[in-house]
Amino acid sequence: MSRKFLETESPAWVTEGLITEAQRERLLARYPPDAVQAVGLLPLLGSILLLLSALSVVAANWQGLPTAVRLGMLLATLAAAYAGGEYFLRRGNRRVGHGLIGLGLVMFGVSIILTSQLYQLVGYDVSGLLAWVVVGVLLSYLYESQTLVLLPVIIGAAVQTYCTQALGTFSYATVGLVALGSGYRWWRRPDTLVASVLATGLLWQAALWVALSHAKITWFFIPAMLVYAAGDWHPARPASRALQGPPLVAAYLFALGLALFGETDQYAGLLRPPVLAYLGALAVVFALSIVGKRQRGRLTSLPDWLLLLPGFYLPGGLPLAIATLVVLYAHAGSVLARAHRSGEAEQLTLGTVLFVVATMVAYFKLTWAFLDKSLFFLIGGVLLLSMSWYLRRRNAQRLAAGVATVAGAPAPTSPDNNPAA
Amino acid sequence: MPTRSTPSHRMLVRLLVAAQLLYVLGVAGAGYATTAYGQHIVLATSPVDLHGLQYESFVRLRYTIAEAPLTAWRSPTPPTRRQSVYVLLNTAADSLATVAGVYDAAPRPAASQAVLRGWVTDVYPRSLGLRYNLERYYVPGDSPLRLGKISPAVRVRVSIAPWGQARIERVELARPTAAR
Repeated sequence: MSRKFLETESPAWVTEGLITEAQRERLLARYPPDAVQAVGLLPLLGSILLLLSALSVVAANWQGLPTAVRLGMLLATLAAAYAGGEYFLRRGNRRVGHGLIGLGLVMFGVSIILTSQLYQLVGYDVSGLLAWVVVGVLLSYLYESQTLVLLPVIIGAAVQTYCTQALGTFSYATVGLVALGSGYRWWRRPDTLVASVLATGLLWQAALWVALSHAKITWFFIPAMLVYAAGDWHPARPASRALQGPPLVAAYLFALGLALFGETDQYAGLLRPPVLAYLGALAVVFALSIVGKRQRGRLTSLPDWLLLLPGFYLPGGLPLAIATLVVLYAHAGSVLARAHRSGEAEQLTLGTVLFVVATMVAYFKLTWAFLDKSLFFLIGGVLLLSMSWYLRRRNAQRLAAGVATVAGAPAPTSPDNNPAA
Repeated sequence: MPTRSTPSHRMLVRLLVAAQLLYVLGVAGAGYATTAYGQHIVLATSPVDLHGLQYESFVRLRYTIAEAPLTAWRSPTPPTRRQSVYVLLNTAADSLATVAGVYDAAPRPAASQAVLRGWVTDVYPRSLGLRYNLERYYVPGDSPLRLGKISPAVRVRVSIAPWGQARIERVELARPTAAR
């Protein structure tokens, strides 16, 4: 709640008798205007400009400088960034301190790349850059900082991209370091943002692996669902949901693609890995996920796995499209049912969107071919309008019921779905 | 957990920073060691386009060994794009290297041969396009390339370290008699 909000709204509270004038003044005094912040930005902007000028002078004369000077400058910047970071941390300025240490980590990678370039040196494996990931993971254990946990995940994805694109190999060491090193760091200190970025980074590396090995793209879902299953085992609920977000989005987009384009056997043919190997691997991951869900008492989220039903083994054509649509409907329905049970507004919106998307895909898919075009648009419009009316009414009823129960209850001492808990 | 500024924590941070500084120095050392202990070969290029130097600090070198006939392919499986390969080069004292064969596993070079690693960029009906990651040459401030206005053909001296790194040692203008 901002000071401005307090200033504009509080007179009305006094007139309505919610608080007294004296209380209003005490409240205002408790949140002093923070006009100082804008001034605090000036030194930051000033130093950024100075830094940019130094950087451009160096960059313009880089090739002209002697090798030793260039190497010395890289090493000095690297050491200075870390020393500065430690200095600010000791003075208690955590944000600047962690920022500078992150800068030191970035400088380490830049130094490796620029030094190789200095000697026109090429390596044929990723070992040169692997050290960057190792240092990043180690640093994330040494400091209590979100930035420093995110950096090695991003660096790992970048190194893997370079490795697969330029060197034509997949670095299992990189993916292992990120999955185990950063993964364990997250496991110990769960955080929703780190969870999403970690899952996205790992999925990115999995996708690079699939692209490089020319495997069927469905193999992507084995590592992806392993990430999902790891979320099932984690005790912290919000962080584990955040970890499961990216794999679920990927699985949903895949199912949607199957519903839209699965009719052609050519596309479905691209998706069919050897039956026993794929289903066996998927079953193992599924079992891991179920055991985790049961341990943590989260079996209600089991319908997430509907998206992973290997419908692409069905013969292409209409049966495949219809089967996928049924799955999409079942999934949207399960999300809606879960949202109604828990009464979470966000989940309700998500379920509604999924439901609408499934309906639109079904309608476009099944009726475009045999309906007259004007009739097609007319019925589609009516369908969507009536659905929006129905869903909105339902949501309103649902939320009103929720508000009524909250208002009717005595002042809650410890709300059980408190996100901070 | 972390961030307590205890002596042991500070010690770990110092060690980690020292390791990074040493690592960067190690990369520089690998550069010198590649020249000192490596095998030296000379590669020819087609004329170098110097126009890019006005905007960038590097030029793109196109080596004559960047294209090999498909008959030089020495593996039962056909070549695929982006595959990493070992190129066996015939070298003689003070002469240009030529492709003797392209392998998908490390071959054993004879006395006057060298192995340079590379990647397949294209597979044509009769030839292979190859890339060595040595194509981008950062032109130093005192290089003769900085003075030239025309597009010269150059000789590139490359050293290949026994542990599998390679570097461009220097780039010389091809002698006018040898230039095409």
